[in-house]
Amino acid sequence: MKVYECCGIESVTKKVFCSSCGKEIVNETEVPDEGIVYSFTVIQVPPAQFAHLAPYTVALVQLKNSNAKITARILENVEIGDQVSLDSIVDGAYVFKKVNTNEAVY
Amino acid sequence: MTAVYVHGIGMTKFGSFEDKSLKDLLIEASREALKDADHPKIDAIFVGNFMGGTLSNQEILGAIVAHDLGLGYIPTAKLEGACASGGIALRQGVLSILSGEYENVLVVGAEKMKHASTATVTQFINTAMDQSTTEKEAGLTFPGFFGTVANRYMFETGAKKEHLAKVALKNRENAINNPLAQFQKPTSIDEIINARMVTDPLGLFDCSPITDGAAAVVLSSKPSSIKVRASAQSSGPTLMQDAVDLLSLPAVKISGEKAYEKAGLGPKDIDVVEIHDCFSMTEILSIEELGFFQKLEGWKAVEEGKTRVDGEIPVNTSGGLLSKGHPIGATGIAQIYQLVRQLRGNAPNQLAKQPKIALAQNLGGTGAYSVVHILERV
Ligand SMILES: [Zn+2]
Repeated sequence: MKVYECCGIESVTKKVFCSSCGKEIVNETEVPDEGIVYSFTVIQVPPAQFAHLAPYTVALVQLKNSNAKITARILENVEIGDQVSLDSIVDGAYVFKKVNTNEAVY
Repeated sequence: MTAVYVHGIGMTKFGSFEDKSLKDLLIEASREALKDADHPKIDAIFVGNFMGGTLSNQEILGAIVAHDLGLGYIPTAKLEGACASGGIALRQGVLSILSGEYENVLVVGAEKMKHASTATVTQFINTAMDQSTTEKEAGLTFPGFFGTVANRYMFETGAKKEHLAKVALKNRENAINNPLAQFQKPTSIDEIINARMVTDPLGLFDCSPITDGAAAVVLSSKPSSIKVRASAQSSGPTLMQDAVDLLSLPAVKISGEKAYEKAGLGPKDIDVVEIHDCFSMTEILSIEELGFFQKLEGWKAVEEGKTRVDGEIPVNTSGGLLSKGHPIGATGIAQIYQLVRQLRGNAPNQLAKQPKIALAQNLGGTGAYSVVHILERV
């Protein structure tokens, strides 16, 4: 996915100006669709729009090769530090899945 | 130089009031504040409200308050900043007097929420997050943000769910002595820890409730015994994924620093505090951001009882949002109501030594807004 950067501040949000130097943000880089769980919650009391999904896990994912993080729905239960990768994009939501680290060849 | 003083305060009971409309609540609190101020000629009205349009199908609250109180065709405005709506309205009232435009101003905040279902209220509270992002589509809720913060905070500090529970317990114990509070039933650490989960690790008692209620203050450039020493505001990130440090609330830190600077005071000078404890986790983060305790050590202060009524810096002697209740637009003004009573010496949970300097911090969104006011007994 795309990450926008200026003055070392990286974000998946495309802002107009850099809050540090004030210049227009022009640097775009492509980073892998994977990362580790920085933190998470399991939402038991959902808003009406997501009632059919509850309970569901939402995590803040630290993206690989970047300082940027992304908020994503996760298909399984996770812990902080778990490796996750993009599964699909559903109705505008990034949905990640846990990477089975036993089979990973890092 | 012009200064601003508090002349009157008013507050409804917080709770569930089926037979009272949003307007009824606004009028009830305003009327009490005007009486307390001995009915000065009001020059303008600022209203704090978040969901009048969606939940009560009612806007033009400022003009309605002026009309129904019979205050004449004076200028009014409604201010919105999610849960900081009340604090922002108060700040606009302060600034309007400092500008020299008005002498006496009525500030009133209210919310009417209990008639709607929890799913509907949760949906509308989510409007306090950026709705046009992948983060919202992922299903992050407002409480979910603070649940995610809490899991990381516990991971980094070693704090346990029990420390979150201690915040909730302290505030409930304070609310028991506040007849205007929504929740006055005693509870225990066990009951809090074992309560129904809302968004892991936050359970029912870690989350502020849905509440009906209103609060009002009358401000003036004429001296009284309570002076507004500082009014400051900041904004912060509107998305969790854009937080540079998930365990900080920059809006709280910046608004606090600006208020201290304006007042020429520091955290050590503050005698009593009302902090925006929308969640137990939020109170811990904000006592750190306001400089009362070191970063990532707020939970230890809670453990040691330092924020209790008899502690070194009493926080939320009213019962806080968690137990006094959280009628969104009223909250920032209800904090002032409690602090003015502390400074006057007749508050629920009155401090043994009558305080001289008080601080109120009101948060909006997931840290998108913060307003800090410092009051002084003169
Ligand atoms: Zn820059």
